[in-house]
Formats: sequence, C-alpha cells, structure tokens
Amino acid sequence: MSRALLRSALELRTPAARLPPSFLLPIRARSFNSTAPIIEPTSSASASSHDAASSTIQPPSAETQRANSTLSSRSSTSPQTLYPPSPPPATPPVLSDSVRQLLPLLASQPSHYITVHIHGRPYLVTPGDAIRLPFHMPGVVPGDVLRLDRASVIGSRDFTLKGSPYIDDRVFECRAVVTGSELEPVRITVKKKQRTRRARRVRSQHRFTTLTISELKIKGVEEIAGEGSSA
Amino acid sequence: MSYFRITLHRSAIGLPKRTRGVLAALGLRRRTQTVFHPVSPDFAGMIMKVKELVRVEEVDRALTKDEVKASRRPERGFWVEKPVPR
Repeated sequence: MSRALLRSALELRTPAARLPPSFLLPIRARSFNSTAPIIEPTSSASASSHDAASSTIQPPSAETQRANSTLSSRSSTSPQTLYPPSPPPATPPVLSDSVRQLLPLLASQPSHYITVHIHGRPYLVTPGDAIRLPFHMPGVVPGDVLRLDRASVIGSRDFTLKGSPYIDDRVFECRAVVTGSELEPVRITVKKKQRTRRARRVRSQHRFTTLTISELKIKGVEEIAGEGSSA
Repeated sequence: MSYFRITLHRSAIGLPKRTRGVLAALGLRRRTQTVFHPVSPDFAGMIMKVKELVRVEEVDRALTKDEVKASRRPERGFWVEKPVPR
C-alpha cells in the first residue's frame, strides 16, 4: 500500500520520466530527419536601416524604400513581384446550390482541415501545422505571409467541400508564415567508374523551406457575393 | 487558319523505316511530344500514315513550345501577401 502510494507520488512528480525523449515520440519520429531549423539573417545593411527607421518612427517614405531596395542585396526582386497573386477569372463562377446551403454549416463547425496545393502537390493541413516543403523557395525570408489560394478539399468533422479540381478561392482564406529553412543530412553518393578503382564521392545537401499554417477562415455566402459585386 | 495538334502517343521503336520517316517529317522525336501543323492535305496524309501512333486535335492557333510547357505546369498555389520589411 505504502509502496504504491510512493510510486504514484513519484509518477506525479516526474510524469515525463517514463516517456522516451521527445525526439523519439511518434509525432517527432515521423518528421523529417534534419538539422535544426535555419533562420537566415537579413542583410546587415537593410536591418540597420530598418532599425533606424523604427527607432525614429518615421513613416517609410518612398526615398527610404528605394534606399532599402538598393542597399539590401536580395531585394532587387521583391517577393511580391516574384510571386504575384494570380489574376481573378473574368467571369467569377457561380456557387452551386448545395455549396450555398451547406457552406454555413461547414463554417459553423469548430475546426477544419484543408488540402492545399503548392506547385501541384497536395498538403493536408490544419491551422498550426508546420510543413516542410520539398524544395527551397527562393526570395522569401522568415516572417513572410503567404496566401495559399489553391485547395482541393476543405473539411470539418461532418462536412467536406471538394473541388474539381480546385475549390473556388473566394470561399476560403488560408495563410501560411515562412518560418525558415532546414538543411537535410549530407548525402554522399559514390560514383564508381566501371572496371577501374576510380571512385568519386559526390556530396549533396539541400535546403528546404518550412512553413506554418497560420490561419484558415471559411467565408460566408454573403461575403463572397459582396466581393463579387464590389469587384 | 486552323492547325493540327499532333502528339506522339506510342513509340515508333521496331517500326519500318518508312513510318519513322513520316514521324521525322512531322517533327516528332519522342513520346508525348506535341507539334502543330497547318491543316492541309499533305499533313492529313502524313497523319493517316501514323494514325495508330499519334493523337490529333484540331485547334485554332499553334502554340509555341513555351506555351505548351506552361499549360502542363501545375499552378503555383500561393502568393506573397505580406513580406517582412527587408
């Protein structure tokens, strides 16, 4: 009896002691085997100019904007010009009756998932998820907010909205924040020439952009109609 | 002016030299390659010679190679809404 009490007290005190370390837990073990996330520093010139602007609290004039763009090395191509929004269709498609009826029900349910497509690849995510893209996205830095506008499925516990192939992008707002990039472990491939001892080792190590899904909002039917009339 | 949009669907490996010659004359080198030729009896006859190998559509406008490639590329699916000041 006393021993059981003692053990329960010990367990209460150190509940995590019986668990394996956190990187061996299933949800971590399934994630990509990689180094610590890398957060690229912005170039010192642009950072200092930005600090100066923030300390004096001036509205950013056109001249300082131009100075920023000339000083920083990589902002010669702004991410907004690199990745502009896709033009809206000339005739916005009308929502079908079932969507009109069931979209409020879907929106009223508490939590949603979405299958977003980035460069044609599907990612089934929910707000708060961190995803590692299978490529390095050039021209973005941590903190950039991306708007994800191609989705094939939005669902909740009881309802699912499927697109063919994509859902109308007026129905939802999905945002992701760039959190940095990861380096994969070094891969060394031995290139062996036939019938000789010549072997060459090729080292490759790639960098992958990581995102966090920050927001998923499903709009109401009236909101969509209002946008259509205003636009 | 309308065009034939011709896509090589089956390989010409193991086929007679005449057939390969017709494909070469159409400008088809590899499978799933797409070429555009104006609608004319010459090209219609060439397509008839290799009708088992190609898929043909009639289109209004000949696309360039870049346009064909762009039509196959999936959509980007994102745009930068708010970049951090840099």
